[in-house]
Amino acid sequence: MALFLETSTVLLRRIKDIRPLTAKRHRVKGKWATTLPKHPPTRLALQHFDATYSAQLGDLWPSVRVALLSERKYGALLNNFCHSPDLEELQAQGSAPLRLHQAGLWPLAAVNKAPQGETIWSEFWSIMPDKFGLLSYYLMDAASVLPSLALDVQANHTVLDLCAAPGGKALALLQTQSARFLCLNDSSVSRTSRLKRVLHSYAPKELLTDDKLRITSVDGTMWGEIERNSFDRVLVDVPCTTDRHSLMEDDNNMFSRSRVGERRSLPRLQAELLLAGIIAACPGGEVLYSTCTLCPSQNLGVVERAVQLAEENHGIRLQVVSLRPLVRMFQNTFHFAPDLHLGEMVVPHLAANFGPIYMCKIRRLA
Amino acid sequence: MNGSHLPSWCLSCRLLCSASDQTASVSSQSSLRLSPVLSLHSLSDMGFTESQAGQLFDSVSRLKGASAAKHVLSTLTVLFVLGLNPTSVQKLIDKCPELCMVKETQLQQRIQHLRKLGLVEGSLQRTVVHYPKILTVPVKSVKNVVQFLREKCQFTTQQVTEILRDSPAVVLEDLDQLEYKFQYVYFRMGIKQAEMVKCRLFRFTMEDVRCRHVFLERRGLYQTPDKKGQTTIINPKLDSILNVDQHTFIVDVAQASAEEYDVFQKLLAREWKEEELEHGSIEADSDEEEDDEGEEPDGKSGYKKKKKR
Ligand SMILES: C[S@@+](CC[C@H](N)C(=O)[O-])C[C@H]1O[C@@H](n2cnc3c(N)ncnc32)[C@H](O)[C@@H]1O
Repeated sequence: MALFLETSTVLLRRIKDIRPLTAKRHRVKGKWATTLPKHPPTRLALQHFDATYSAQLGDLWPSVRVALLSERKYGALLNNFCHSPDLEELQAQGSAPLRLHQAGLWPLAAVNKAPQGETIWSEFWSIMPDKFGLLSYYLMDAASVLPSLALDVQANHTVLDLCAAPGGKALALLQTQSARFLCLNDSSVSRTSRLKRVLHSYAPKELLTDDKLRITSVDGTMWGEIERNSFDRVLVDVPCTTDRHSLMEDDNNMFSRSRVGERRSLPRLQAELLLAGIIAACPGGEVLYSTCTLCPSQNLGVVERAVQLAEENHGIRLQVVSLRPLVRMFQNTFHFAPDLHLGEMVVPHLAANFGPIYMCKIRRLA
Repeated sequence: MNGSHLPSWCLSCRLLCSASDQTASVSSQSSLRLSPVLSLHSLSDMGFTESQAGQLFDSVSRLKGASAAKHVLSTLTVLFVLGLNPTSVQKLIDKCPELCMVKETQLQQRIQHLRKLGLVEGSLQRTVVHYPKILTVPVKSVKNVVQFLREKCQFTTQQVTEILRDSPAVVLEDLDQLEYKFQYVYFRMGIKQAEMVKCRLFRFTMEDVRCRHVFLERRGLYQTPDKKGQTTIINPKLDSILNVDQHTFIVDVAQASAEEYDVFQKLLAREWKEEELEHGSIEADSDEEEDDEGEEPDGKSGYKKKKKR
């Protein structure tokens, strides 16, 4: 086990936890000593990112890298439907959580700005339900609300969330109560049932009735065969390499050897999902594409491809909608990547350890 | 005795006077603690100036316990025999008055032992002046540390001598901590003994070493060498990581901002506290579902988990 052959016979590595970056899963369970694979997926992911992101982000990459490999920050999405003293308590404890304004006006922009390291979120995980059984807040990467905000749902809109589970962004959409009809889909049956659980834990029954909400579990790429030209807003929050997860957890990791094929075909799947979303939108409707990876081929690459396919194969013309106003609103809270020629991206930074989140908004012209 | 008005001096002066029976009104309680033979006279005979003598009394009177300073005179003698001058001796006692509690024979044994360990004249004196506490440590404890450095860490005799000379505080460190530090630098950072000695590794706390190293590592600027000792990048030298002030480290070595390092230090401290708590506890798998975005645990499952316990 010792590193240096010439002395390895005598120098016994006694202290166990002198390990290099090890996936959290392993650290917690302490089973790394015997079963740590030679090339754990987390390590492969890091190698991959080092190669691609250092070229893409240049001097920014070391800062992003250390943030990705360190404890992330959470945001608490406060539940407007919950009547619980927890909320005040949470605010009293020095965190300024994100509350979406009821009227559909956008947020009282207040993500936790306290210096990193002061709030231990795990202490909040034991939140108690109020007397109606609703929980007071949903913990998520604060930057994950941006796609819901960017979607800019207006009163009476019909909204489709094509890949909705486990439901963070759908919950954020629901908070504003502006959508007339919400259609939530996720191809994974188990994750769809989790989505349902989340909704029932956070939203009152009146909002979850059939005339307001539909939850389905179909392959999103086939959506065009169900419903075309019908939604005012479509959120396409696709499966991706989920960079943070890939770096920190060996379980269910896209970079494990057995999933190479799946990982390589992600951009194609993502483009198909986005295309399906575009087709599902009505003319004049808007589609928001989002991922939680920094990878250009899963981000702008996908948008370019889907736009091209929509025009060539379906005669749909599209226009990119600028997200600059949103970026300006949040530039003190999140670190945005500079000079992206298509879409916007929140990049992790130690002082604001949120993201990554990529977003691009397109409007269907015809 | 012209009027030096330092209060400490006045007090000591009076103590001295009372010992030599002039002013009976002064409480003689403190003076009783001092050896009867220790007088201003004897101190100036030894070569101390009046103010040095006063400061000496001050230092010694900080010691608690009735017979605390029993060996003060023999200690001073031993230090003089070692070749130190009154100025150094006074400073040294000020730094470490506990030396006055050590028996003469023990002191001599300890000094002898340090000589045997290779601290030659000159180094020996510098080490003692710089870190007088080393003479409060029993020979046996020093032997243990030395044996540990030789056997567990494979430092050569010569290297051990250098460690004692440059970082004498190792003799008081917990051996487990010491082993952790050594192994961390050896295995994680891939650094050989000679370089550790050259960079005076043992002068730095584990927290400092780890924090700077992990910061570099997570920024992609430091790699653990593979079995052949190779890395795909050129690691910065241990010397340039440790022996520079924080600003230089952040800006020149890590190429980061002070804000980032500040946050990082806090985060890492917390990470390690958490790990220490978890250390060794092997928990059963919780029934987590697969989770793409890592947004678990949401409020609900957290609540359930709590309730189960
Ligand atoms: C990034 S997650 C969505 C997270 C969710 N929007 C939220 O905010 O909680 C991607 C989801 O896409 C789903 N998915 C994967 N392939 C799909 C497909 N072909 N059609 C629909 N959903 C799919 C996965 O099951 C996964 O739940």
